[in-house]
Amino acid sequence: MIYQFYVERDSLLHSLDPRVKIIGMLIGITSLMLFNDPKALIPLFLFILLSGRVLGKLGIGEQLRLLKPLLFIVLLTVLIWPLVYKPRLIGLLLGVSFSLRLLGFGLITFQLLMTTRQRELILGFVRLGLPYELGLTLTIALRYIPTLYGIASTIMDAQRSRGLELDRGNLLERIRKTVPILIPLIVASLKTAHELSIALESRAFGASRRRTFYRDISMKRRDYLALGILLTCFASLFYLRFVLGFGHVVIYR
Amino acid sequence: MIRVESLHFAYDGREVLRGIDLVFGEEILALVGPNGSGKTTLAKHLNGLLKPTRGRVLVDGMDTREHTVAELSRKVGYVFQNPEHMFFEETVFKEVAFGPKNLGLDESEVEERVRWALGAVGLGGFEERTPYSLSGGEKQRLAIACVLAMRPKYLILDEPTTGLDWKAERSVVETIKSLREDGHGILLITHDMDLVLELAERVVLLEDGKKAFDGPVEEFFSLDLESYGLERPELLVLAEKLGAGFVRSVEELAGRVKQ
Repeated sequence: MIYQFYVERDSLLHSLDPRVKIIGMLIGITSLMLFNDPKALIPLFLFILLSGRVLGKLGIGEQLRLLKPLLFIVLLTVLIWPLVYKPRLIGLLLGVSFSLRLLGFGLITFQLLMTTRQRELILGFVRLGLPYELGLTLTIALRYIPTLYGIASTIMDAQRSRGLELDRGNLLERIRKTVPILIPLIVASLKTAHELSIALESRAFGASRRRTFYRDISMKRRDYLALGILLTCFASLFYLRFVLGFGHVVIYR
Repeated sequence: MIRVESLHFAYDGREVLRGIDLVFGEEILALVGPNGSGKTTLAKHLNGLLKPTRGRVLVDGMDTREHTVAELSRKVGYVFQNPEHMFFEETVFKEVAFGPKNLGLDESEVEERVRWALGAVGLGGFEERTPYSLSGGEKQRLAIACVLAMRPKYLILDEPTTGLDWKAERSVVETIKSLREDGHGILLITHDMDLVLELAERVVLLEDGKKAFDGPVEEFFSLDLESYGLERPELLVLAEKLGAGFVRSVEELAGRVKQ
């Protein structure tokens, strides 16, 4: 299975209400955006990484591995800052800390995905006000990724059996060669979607306006406690940044 | 001749095929077995879509590990279960022409092969239709034509009659029979025991990635099929009750009973 981030653990982060975690993610991302000083960004990143380890029981390596796709853009940032900014050493430091800010965004998002089951996550969004139809659409889309992946490999096998050589030719030829794969795939997806819509309607989807949930979520005392702590932290960071003026450096004069 | 020698194959560490030996030539060979027994995995080795983890597969002496699927497609044609998984052109003609064009043939040769292949499956006159607008049986026969136009000696048909009504099934069966008469070797993957009884010359039964049986049809139907999750054809049950012995078609049974 691809695109499955969730890891089963028995941890505080896993057991919190998804709404708290979603708000926590937004607070984390906003906090990262408040500061541009390496003095604040570097500790903040380490703090996020460590809280994933301590509160979510996620291995450090396990967390960092998911950030691999960002490696290229991180390298670019770290290399370009010292080239365009003087003094160069400060440039390097800024490059590193802005990379960490970016990685921090990724890390927080992945922590949410690693500690929350897909259906809880979507339920959390719906409970926060996302229309149910949109939530369902999202679930279905994620659910069908592995299915479509399977269909795509069957189609590729079928066309290769008809002499299609996907790994041959220049870029333009290769792009043209995706047509025999894409068209059957699109047709198959549309058919599946159509059948799915009939299946949904035949189970009276949308018949009643107020939905109840078979598996519902509820805020418990520790969820409120966690939310309180999060908001207090956020307020303190706000105070630090705007009243005390910490964590902001003037980069361009 | 396709020769499979002690073939082993594993998907992410799980052995799906566990030592298969098989020789397949100019015949109709039915490949049967429960779901997950490795039928499709074995078939995908015959045209190089999968390469053996251990052992080897020789197609007329060509080792599949040393040749691409495209090269092997001149020898072995593979018709997938769902014909719609291969259709992408606007017309039936262009659809059938796709394979021969991939072989690098010139236009007149391509056209000749398309006409011949469409004729062979009884779809002459359908050239300008849209593949997706055809009926189930026509789609299945078009899929066969698409592969046939590459003039392979061997054909692999993966459940060619599943989901077809009786009339459409007949049209596919007739197509298979006439291809056999033209000298093709046909590997038929199927769950339909009636089809095996009617068409096959030899049966290979797979179970858990191993050959459980390999032999002539009559002997196959004397096995205890239910223990393999397979159903005995009604025709044979009826023939037994009438004391007519082993028959392969309703006509044959009727003939025996009259005697």
